[in-house]
Amino acid sequence: MADDPIEQFHIESIVPIDIAGLDASFTNASLAMVGGVAVAALFFNWAMKPAALIPSRAQVVAEQTYGFVHGMVKDTTGDEGVKKFFPFVFTLFLFIFMSNMLGMFPGFFGVHHIFTPTSQIVVTAMLALLVFFTVIIVGLFKNGFKFFKIFAPSGVPLLIMPLIVLIEIISFFSRPLSHSVRLWANILAGHILLKVFASFVPMLFAAGGAFALLSVLPLAMTVALYGLEFLVAFLQAYVFALLTCIYLNDALHPGH
Amino acid sequence: MADRKPPEDDLSNLRRRIDAARGGDGSQNAPPPQSPASLALRYGGEFGAAVIVGGLLGYGVDQLLPTSPWGVLIGFMLGFAAGVVNVVRVARTYNQAHPVDPNAPSIPDDEED
Repeated sequence: MADDPIEQFHIESIVPIDIAGLDASFTNASLAMVGGVAVAALFFNWAMKPAALIPSRAQVVAEQTYGFVHGMVKDTTGDEGVKKFFPFVFTLFLFIFMSNMLGMFPGFFGVHHIFTPTSQIVVTAMLALLVFFTVIIVGLFKNGFKFFKIFAPSGVPLLIMPLIVLIEIISFFSRPLSHSVRLWANILAGHILLKVFASFVPMLFAAGGAFALLSVLPLAMTVALYGLEFLVAFLQAYVFALLTCIYLNDALHPGH
Repeated sequence: MADRKPPEDDLSNLRRRIDAARGGDGSQNAPPPQSPASLALRYGGEFGAAVIVGGLLGYGVDQLLPTSPWGVLIGFMLGFAAGVVNVVRVARTYNQAHPVDPNAPSIPDDEED
């Protein structure tokens, strides 16, 4: 079915790999992820190769991206956070950004579409859990038992403290869920919406007569949505990285 | 070219001029504008996530201890509370980042008084 809006999220195995009964095949999702990483790595290597005092356009893009994330990490977590976590956050940001952006392109060279890895909750959940466990491990190593102060806000009467601690624990554990769902839902919903509106165009056109003329409307809507989706692709990568910074800041400075 | 300054001077001079042009604090980190829809999704996500996690934690307690069904019930209750806490936190950070314009026209309320 060409006009099935969910069809773009089907995982197809490219190189079947089977490890002890587990299906670890190299799929179109894996290919898209490797592609995203490769594009990011190649671009930064190529753009920064001259390392000129007066930068070329590509070098400006690379430096601005670096400076953008650097400023974000510094603003939220301070100098200590930059020293510890900047490479991590920068990698996360670039990976998500490149995955989102690659997913914006329709297929070419016989590939009938490019898979968007961030439209799979497995991918975003893994990224969010990575952040979650980084926060716990770094927090425990750096602060020891003082890390648990994040569950006990200061200035709370002793009587309702157990209740507050329970609520704070649930709130803490809900972080990876909301962290991953936000990215996943935005990308998934955007791609489905695009496909739905785009499929109206041939449907209306095939209906003929006055309907064929009307098919311009969903086409215009698709173009507008495409622009919006490019913004969302960047914005969600930014939001994910920003939330990562906020959570990592808790690991460095527990206790609100 | 005996009086030529070393390039470090030129560089710091350039840095100073760039910082001045950017508005002084040297920060180039203007966060992109958030659409109301993404903000709404954020609030909803924070709330829903806490409810689900609260329920799951309560379910886990029920599996370990013979407290069924009270674990799930209390877990959901606490989850709702945690969801409200999450939403309040997000709203607080959002309001700090976007202070209300004091010169903005006030919205008339429709209460009869």
